[in-house]
Amino acid sequence: MSTPLLEIKNLHVRVEDNEILKGVNLTLNRGEVHAIMGRNGSGKSTLSYVLAGKDDYEVTEGEILFNGEDLLAMEPDERAAAGVFLAFQYPIEIPGVSTMTFLKAAINGQRKARGEAELTTPEFMKAVKDAAGLLEIKQDMLKRPLNVGFSGGEKKRAEILQMALLQPQLCILDETDSGLDIDALKVVSEGVNKLRSADRSMLVITHYQRLLNYIVPDLVHVFSAGRVVETGDKSLALELEAKGYADFDETNAA
Amino acid sequence: MHVQTPVRLSAAEESLVAQLESAGAKDAAERLRVVGLPTRRVETYHYTDLKTLLSAVPPLAAPANEASAPAIDIPGAYRIVIANGVVQSATTAPAGVIIGKAAGSVLTTRDDVIVRLNAALVGESLNVELAGSVDPVIHIDRRMEGEGAHVQSGAKIHVASGASATIIETISGSDAAHIGNAGSYVSVGDGAEVTHILVDLSARQAVNFATVEYRIAAEVKLKSVVINAGAHLARVNIFADFVGEGAHGDFFGLNVVDTDEHRDITLDVTHGVPNTTSAELYKQIARGRGRAVFQGKINVAMDAQKTDAKMMTQGLMLSDEAEILTKPELEIFADDVVCGHGATCGDLDDTHLFYLMSRGISRQEAETILIRAFLAEITDAVEDEYVSEALSGIVERWLKKDA
Ligand SMILES: Nc1ncnc2c1ncn2[C@@H]1O[C@H](COP(=O)(O)OP(=O)(O)OP(=O)(O)O)[C@@H](O)[C@H]1O
Ligand SMILES: [Mg+2]
Repeated sequence: MSTPLLEIKNLHVRVEDNEILKGVNLTLNRGEVHAIMGRNGSGKSTLSYVLAGKDDYEVTEGEILFNGEDLLAMEPDERAAAGVFLAFQYPIEIPGVSTMTFLKAAINGQRKARGEAELTTPEFMKAVKDAAGLLEIKQDMLKRPLNVGFSGGEKKRAEILQMALLQPQLCILDETDSGLDIDALKVVSEGVNKLRSADRSMLVITHYQRLLNYIVPDLVHVFSAGRVVETGDKSLALELEAKGYADFDETNAA
Repeated sequence: MHVQTPVRLSAAEESLVAQLESAGAKDAAERLRVVGLPTRRVETYHYTDLKTLLSAVPPLAAPANEASAPAIDIPGAYRIVIANGVVQSATTAPAGVIIGKAAGSVLTTRDDVIVRLNAALVGESLNVELAGSVDPVIHIDRRMEGEGAHVQSGAKIHVASGASATIIETISGSDAAHIGNAGSYVSVGDGAEVTHILVDLSARQAVNFATVEYRIAAEVKLKSVVINAGAHLARVNIFADFVGEGAHGDFFGLNVVDTDEHRDITLDVTHGVPNTTSAELYKQIARGRGRAVFQGKINVAMDAQKTDAKMMTQGLMLSDEAEILTKPELEIFADDVVCGHGATCGDLDDTHLFYLMSRGISRQEAETILIRAFLAEITDAVEDEYVSEALSGIVERWLKKDA
């Protein structure tokens, strides 16, 4: 079998003096979609930040291979150029930076890093238009400063727009569904599904089984106290919905 | 009678006294001989100790016989050059504009050494009268040319009632150790709408002083923008007096400092009549060992009820050795007013940087994007597209320059 897109091996991570991740093991093959579910505070966002390269975290043990290469040795921008994309649980507002300027800097920054030609303005405009159309985002919103004044749902949608535009190999969706209304959830899920392909993998973090009716995962991982304690097919999500996390806590404690 | 013992004068002070005497300004010379240049003990110069900072004074300027290129070229602007203090003949003035000159300084008598020097040493001043809706941007292009010289200049701008105009003043010149002292008096008549911009772009070897006075009549809409982007030592005094009701002033300013530069904007706004409003936003950005100073004082007179004045200052520190110093002050004698001030200072936001980098933007470009965003609020404040572009250009040049 070919090299997995992502291999997380025995990952231990500290924040300040607390060990948050305590031996995460996870392998994601090309084209697969995995869901991660788990209690509040179990370390799901921490894992997503470590993958994206936020520097407040100290990896004390373990490794992460992306396409067989050491992901932890790369800067956040290098990871993005290599194909890692995190749709943030809480996208931040950046006043004074226009959304379009930002999108152009991002797409061309990645292309430059990969040795590809930068997009011309018309090419860029078309790419944005297509991505906005896919997610039913009004062009007006893109004229505003980055995420500034966007509603909670609009911010989530804008994250997926960026994802559609940047065409990453690894999409990490951290609770993209929270804050989306019922219709928006459908639109965004359809957008995400259109991005599914044989050479793109996704890690979908969610609390709700409902999202997984739209974005059907190949595998579901249960996260508890900083590691994966159970892995199963999509029926595991239904089981969790019915029973809660208590059973899995015991597994973890044992 | 109390006799003050004269202070020990520095070489720079000796030169200034001699220059004042040679110009026949006996009182100013005597005053300087007695008190010297202001030190940190003088409140308004607390962060800009001129006695220590001003090391040498070049000879008084002679008329310029060479000219450098304009510091910025604003398409369609009507440009008037003042070279080494001498008003140059300009092309035919556009409709609504009358150009003239007058002997002496344009500044009001004030207890300030920069004002006193300008008042005593300026030979002639430009006089600009603006009426109606003045279409082209008025560009007053002050130059310090040739060898290092002590250059005094003056410009009085009078905007007639009901008129509208955009005026930009630039200070620039040859790469020499000049000292500039530019005085501007801007009087805005009832109901006029004016944008007035002052940009210091003088050479790094130079020192530049400037004083801007605004006299703001009733129902005026004034926008003032001051940018300190030149001279290793710069100090701009801004005095704004609200003298008619119903007027509003927006005051913007920017100090950008690098290496060992020291740039100071000191603002003094007086709401002297009821029902006037102002908003002040001053930003400072410092890298290297640069030092940026903003002092802002808002005075509200006893009968200036319903004054609404909000002052904000924001600093962005790009190095550990840089310094950003701010002193906001409110002096309020009326009781029915809304006044406030706020100040923030810090370095670039790490969460912002991470967000941009996580999308594939390099650290360096992400920093540039964030700095540009910080500064855009000032450069975007100007409505005229060409002028706003020119101001952004100044910021861009600063960003590209390696500290
Ligand atoms: N910078 C930090 N300093 C201290 N503790 C932190 C920091 N960041 C995260 N933590 C802690 O790490 C734990 C895991 O947080 P994380 O955000 O990864 O949880 P999560 O699984 O994403 O939770 P949720 O489902 O609520 O989003 C929490 O207990 C949190 O308080
Ligand atoms: Mg989380």
